[in-house]
This record gives sequence, structure tokens and C-alpha cells, in this order.
Amino acid sequence: MSAVSEPDAPTVFIVDDEAPVRKALSRLLRAAGFVVAAFASPGEFLAQHDLHKPGCLVLDLMMPGINGMELQRALARKGSVLPIIFLTSHGDIPKSVQAMKSGALDFLTKPVNDENLLASIRVAIEKDRVARREQAELRDIRARLATLTPREREVLDHVVTGKLNKQIADDLAVVEKTIKVHRAHVMEKMKVRSVAELVRLTERSGIRSQ
Amino acid sequence: MSWITILWSMNAAACLTLAGIYLLVWCKQRESWVYLAFSFSAVGGAALTAFELALVRAQTVEQYGAILRWAQLPIWAVVVSLVIFVRLYFRAGRPWLAWSVCGLRTLALILNFVFVPNLSYRQITHLNQVSWWGGETVSVPMGVTNPWVLVAQLSLLLLIVFFIDATITVWRRHRKRGLVVGSALILFSLIAVGQVVLVVWGIITIPFLAAFPFLGLLAAMAYELSSDMLRAGQLARELKASEAALRNTERGMELAVNTAGIVVWAWDIPRDEVWLSDKDRALLGFSKDERLSAESVRRVIHPEDREYVRNTVKRSLETRGEIEAEYRVVIPGGKVRWMTRRAHIEFDDTGKPVWERGVLIDITERKLAEERFRLVVEAAPSGMVMANSEGKIILVNAQVETFFGYTRDELIGQPIEMLVPKRFQSKHAGFRHGYLGDAQARPMGAGRELFARRKDGSEFPVEIGLNPIHTPEGLFVLASIVDISERKRAELEGARQRNELAHLSRVTMLGELSGSLAHELNQPLTSILSNAQAAQRFLADEVVDLNELREILNDIVAEDTRAGEMIQRLRVLFKKREMPKHTGDIDINKVVQDVLKLVGNDLMNQNVTMDTELAQNLPAVTGDWIQLELVLLNLVLNGCEAMEDCEPSDRRVRVASELDNGAVGVSVTDRGESIPEEKMDRVFEPFFTTKAEGMGLGLSVCHTIIRAHRGKIWATNNLDRGATFHFELPVNR
Repeated sequence: MSAVSEPDAPTVFIVDDEAPVRKALSRLLRAAGFVVAAFASPGEFLAQHDLHKPGCLVLDLMMPGINGMELQRALARKGSVLPIIFLTSHGDIPKSVQAMKSGALDFLTKPVNDENLLASIRVAIEKDRVARREQAELRDIRARLATLTPREREVLDHVVTGKLNKQIADDLAVVEKTIKVHRAHVMEKMKVRSVAELVRLTERSGIRSQ
Repeated sequence: MSWITILWSMNAAACLTLAGIYLLVWCKQRESWVYLAFSFSAVGGAALTAFELALVRAQTVEQYGAILRWAQLPIWAVVVSLVIFVRLYFRAGRPWLAWSVCGLRTLALILNFVFVPNLSYRQITHLNQVSWWGGETVSVPMGVTNPWVLVAQLSLLLLIVFFIDATITVWRRHRKRGLVVGSALILFSLIAVGQVVLVVWGIITIPFLAAFPFLGLLAAMAYELSSDMLRAGQLARELKASEAALRNTERGMELAVNTAGIVVWAWDIPRDEVWLSDKDRALLGFSKDERLSAESVRRVIHPEDREYVRNTVKRSLETRGEIEAEYRVVIPGGKVRWMTRRAHIEFDDTGKPVWERGVLIDITERKLAEERFRLVVEAAPSGMVMANSEGKIILVNAQVETFFGYTRDELIGQPIEMLVPKRFQSKHAGFRHGYLGDAQARPMGAGRELFARRKDGSEFPVEIGLNPIHTPEGLFVLASIVDISERKRAELEGARQRNELAHLSRVTMLGELSGSLAHELNQPLTSILSNAQAAQRFLADEVVDLNELREILNDIVAEDTRAGEMIQRLRVLFKKREMPKHTGDIDINKVVQDVLKLVGNDLMNQNVTMDTELAQNLPAVTGDWIQLELVLLNLVLNGCEAMEDCEPSDRRVRVASELDNGAVGVSVTDRGESIPEEKMDRVFEPFFTTKAEGMGLGLSVCHTIIRAHRGKIWATNNLDRGATFHFELPVNR
């Protein structure tokens, strides 16, 4: 069964310098229903990779040129959240520790059992989806925030601290009615129905109250 | 004075003189009875002359008869003494003749005194007075002859016959000698007897004149005897001279003998008396005067050898040959000397041994030398075998008995080929002849492996040295045999250990390559596993793409094969075996590239960068691909390890190849620690290492390999930092 090629279908990216291994892994993942893209070297991958594409990265640790670890760092610098699964012939503990500390999702040894790999990939893809959704949500929140006027912004800040309209009016030296209007606008623009929701949103986006 | 008296007296005097002279001679030489016999004859002759004178002067018949009667006595004495003389002097004349003559004469004498007047005449009738010149008258008897006088006359005849017989015998024996006296005897006696017979038978009328021819007889005899005496005197002088000469010779010989250590002896066999010089007597411990018999002389011989000497002498007497014998004598002081005895036996006419003369030569020195030689040979730690030019064993020592398991007796006299393994025996005879042609002290069988065969048929490896020995009996060869089984075993052990060492080194390298190996193997395994698992999933689909499956299976097979080859190559690389093998033409650059692929991962692991500067179109070298890969592997890994403590950016290994002076050279350069100068010479030694955990085997194995390829390997320190290992291989012609 061939995978449905959706623009947003998660892709498993394989980077390994050995062609037979690339081929075999690709086959396996396709047989499991994944969309696969294989690259011969990290350089190739970086050159062609679209950060916005969902999926995960299956990476051979030891390759000539830029090795796996360096790629991990490069991606991090670029801001990619693509989960990385390392594959290696060496069962080297220090390296594995280092890899995990740097944020790799998993560290598997070759020859790799299909169940282990697929399980790991599923986890990775899910993680990637979740990460991307969160990223999208965050962007949405930010967008909403951006629609607020400065006055509305002020009001927001005060509202999330739990202050009453009367108090906010006092703080800002404006009449309570004005506050009420602003508040309504904020609620509308932020698309929330309660103050609690608003608080959650703001917390999520990382906006600190003063 | 009457001339008759004078003449007759002179005759008598002469007879008496001769008698006297020879009596004196006999007194000096009592054992020569000849002289006494002659004296008697001469005295008898004198008496006869006196009687004849008396007869001539006789006046009466009675006187004449009586005188003639008594005259028979001296006649008897003369005849008998003549017979005795001839027998003694000539030792000839038949005995029966002699006895007959004497017998008859004695009979005649007896008859003479029986008859009257005497034997010659029955009766003397008268005396004729015949006148001779000078106015002398002589009496001549006339009468009747006694027929019994024939007895007397027969005896005289027989006497003459006796003389003739003796003369002939002597003449036959000695030719000239005795002819004179013999003929004189015959002649004079014929005359005398003839005259007497004629007178007696009255045929002539002259007195008896037998005395005068008798003097002639005596003269002849005296002449003979005197020449004998002269001869004896001459002989005595010659004897003296020769004795003096002999003494001279003896002294000369003694001098020589004293210097040469020779004892000269002579053995008078019939009398069993041994002559030895005074000096030799002293030497052997005999006194100057004691009489030495053969047996008493043998006292000096060593008791063990006495029987042997006795038998030798007996044998040489029987075979009449000269036999040499060697034996020991014990001289005063207890010292034992070895002597060789050489003797010559003289036999008389009847073939009896009379003299044995010989020498004893002191050969103690030679014997000691022989003994020393024997001891040396016996004590030698190697086996010693001496063979003659025909290849027969003459001498062996105890070690040979031990080595080969034979006893001495089983070996001596046998052909030396019995100690050689069967497959070499035919050639060995040829080698022997070759050696005899140019015999020198040298090892045997240069370039060949030599084996010896024991009694039980088993063989053992040997080294043999040959020594020619020239003896009077011909060319002998002394072979010294060393059993080299131990050495060979040790050599084999050494070779085995070297192989072990080389293997160990390879195995160590194997360990060092583990990273690369694991990776190399894991790749195919990964693709095989993933391919297979993909195939499993495809098969679970409703619609199976067979083409895809086919592709998958093909890939699996390919990967498996690749893995198999890889493992095979590695196995071959690290298999324990001797080197070198599998030689062929090799492009060294290919070897470099192969090795770099092999270690690629390890290098990456250690962040080492590899640079290559390989010259193009290098000529091929002859060698073992696998072994050369090992060398490069070793050098590259060593270089990496040397840079462990360097900064990653500094970790560079450069491998270069070039053609240099007809040889292909390869160098591996690192930028790590340099090799300490004082250790430079030793880096290629086994078990030499500068690494804390190193075993120090790698470089020594490299060294062995490169040397086996007739190449050179060496190390230099770089000017800035690190070391470079170079090796060079000769180009294939």
C-alpha cells in the first residue's frame, strides 16, 4: 500500500552514506506506510530540507564529512524541531549519552529491528506533530495579540492579574466604562470567553505580566 | 867317515827333526792328533833308517836276520801311523781298507816273530858284499824267501790302494787340495814298497833303501802340514783382524743402538744361549755375567704378553718366516715400555735353526701416542668413526655405540654404509670415492640434510665432519658425527614460536580494528535485516508487488555476498599461517586504498584525517597482497595512535607512494609524538613498544614481512613533529 502523498503528510527523512542501507531502510518504512525521503549525506539534507515539512529524521551517526552530531547541532541552530533518531554500528555509550543529552529522541544500533525503528518513528512523528501544533497555536496566539491596540494590551495585562475593572480603571486613570469596553474588545480579539482562558493563553505564549 | 853312514844318519836325523817339530806342535794343539800320528811316522821312519843302516853294515847272517826281524816293529808302527794320519788328515779312505791294512800288518808282525829268522826269509844263505863307490861295501842278503812274506806285502799293497782311494775321495771333494800330498804318498810308497819287494824276492841285489823314499813321503806330509799351519796362522791373524773390526762395528752399533733405543740380541738356538750387550743387559736388569737362556730373557716381558711372545717365536720357527711382534717389557724401576721385535733365523745345512738374531725397538712413544689417540677418540662427545679407503669401519668410539645402538664388534670390519639410511646408500659410495680423490678436513654433505640410521632402523639428523688421516696402511677417514635432533627440534620450535608471534601480532591488530570491523559488517547486516522485514510487511498487504519482492531478495543476496567476502578477506588477512605465500604482482597504490577503506571508520572515530599522495603509474612489485596490507594497516593504525593526544585539527596521517631508484617506496607520516632518538634502532624489535598498553609486536612483524619481500623498512622523525615510517620494495623485473 503506498502512502497517500499529502502536502502535510509526515515524512521520514533518512540520512546514511551507505546506499544499500538507505535503500533497505526506505523499503522497510514504505512497507510500513510511511513517506520516505533519503539523503546520502547531512550536507545534501540541509541543502534540500524544508524546515516546515513534518516528520522525523533517521540519522546514521558516523558519516564522513559532517557527522550526525554536527547535523543535530546545525538543525538546532536553525530552529528545527525535527526529532532525530540516531542509527549506528557502534554501541558506544559515551556517544549515546551525548546524543541523548543533545536532544535526540532515540539511539538505535544497527542492524536495527523493524519494530524498534517503527515504534521510535511513530513516537517521533507524533512528537513532531504535537510540536508543530503547538508551534502553530503559538503563532495564532501571537497573531491575536498583535491585533490588540496598545491600550487593549495594557488592559490585558491587568486583567490576567485578576484585577477588577474598578481597580484597573484606577490604575490606568480611566473611567471604568472605558475599561469595560476595552475588556470586551480584548476578549473578542483574543477569542476567549473567560478570563481563565485568557490567562492560559497568555501564559502559553510566554507573555509575562508586569 | 863313510858316506853311507852320513847319508843314512842325515835321513834319520831329518826324520827325527820332523818328528820333534810336529810333536811340539801337537803339544800345543792336543786335539789335533794328526800331528802326533805324523810324529810317530817320522819316529818310525827314523828307526827304520837306523835299522837299514845296521842291515847294510851287517857282517853275519845271524846279525842280518835278527836286525831284519826287529826292523818289522818300526815298519808296523809306520804303516799303522800312516793309516791313522791319512784318516785323520784327509778324513778319507774307506775304513775297511784301513782296518785290513792294520790287521794284516799286525798279523805280519806276529808271524815275523814266529818265524826264524824272520818273515821275509826262510833262510838267509849268505851275505853278498857289494861294493859301491867310495870304497864302501854293503851287505845284500841272499836266501830263500818266506812265502808268508806275502802277507806283509799284501798289507803294503792294500796300503797303497788305501792311499789311492783316499786321494781320489779328497780330490773329488776339494779338487786341488790334497792332490799333492796324496800323489806324493802314492808315489813314494810305491817306490819304497816296490824296492823292498824286489829285494826280498831276490830280483835285485841292493840293500833295503825304503828309508829314503820314506823321507820323501814324510817331506810331502810335512809340507802339507806346514802349509796347514801357515794357513792356520793366517786365519788366526785374519780372525784377530776381523774380531777387531767386529768390535769396532759393535761399538758403532752400540752407539747407534744407544741413541736409537734399540736392543740387539742373538740367540744361539742349539745351545739356548742369548747374547746381549752389556749395556742392554743393564737396561733390562740382567747382570753382566749371568747366562741368559731364551726363557730367562723372557722374564722382562710383561706377564700378560709372555704367552703371545712364546707363540710368536714358535710360529716363526715353524714357518721359517720373519714375524714381527709388539709387546711390553718391564725394565728395572717398574717402568713399562712397548717394544717391537724383529728377528731373522739362520738355519744350517740340515735345516735346523741355529741362530736367531734380532732387534727390539722401543716404540713406547708411538704406543703412547696411539693410546692417547684412542683415548681422545673414545672420550670425544661426538661419535667418531674411522674407515679405510674401502669404506670398512676400523674404529668406533663409545658414543657411536650409544647413538646407533650397535656394539663395537658389530661395526668393526663392516661397510660404513650400514650406518646410512637405505635411500642414500647407493649415492654414499660414490660420495666416498669423490672424497678420497680430494681428501680435506671439511664438513660432509654441504647443502644437504644428513641422516643416520640406527640399528633398529630409525633415523636421526646429523652433522658430520670429515678428516683425512694418512697412514702407512693407506688413507683413512675419520668422521665425527654430531646428533642434531635437539637442534633441529629447537629450530622447529623457534620457527613455530615466530609464527605464533606473528599471529599474535595480527590478532592484536585485529583487536585494534574492531571498530572498523564492526561497522563494516554491520552495514550489510542492517540492509539485509531491513530488506527482509520490509518484504515481510509487503507480503502482508492484500496486493503484493512481486517485482518489489524480487528486488528486495536480490539486494539481500548481494549484501550477504558482500558481507561474506568481507569476512573472508578478513579471515585470510588474519589467518595463522607461514609467510610468505600467494605472491603475485601488486600495485602498491591499490593496497594503500584498500587499507584506507578498511580503517576509514576507525580514523573517523578518532577524528583523524587521511591524506594520500600516491604517485601515478608505479611499477608492480612482487609480493603477498595480504601481508603488505597488514604492514600498511599496522603503520597507519600506529600513526593514528601516536596522535591520540593531539588536537583534532592536528590529527593528520599522510600516506605517500613513490618510485625511488628502482624501488617502490611508501611512507606513512603522523603528527604525533616523535620516536625518542635512543630508541630509534629498536623500534622494529619484537616486544619493543613505547605505548603504555602496547605489546610491541606490530612493527617487528612488519619488519619480517618487508624483509621477506627483499625490501627495507625504517623510521625517521619529522622535522617539525611526529614520525614517518618508510618501506621500500624492489620493483618486479
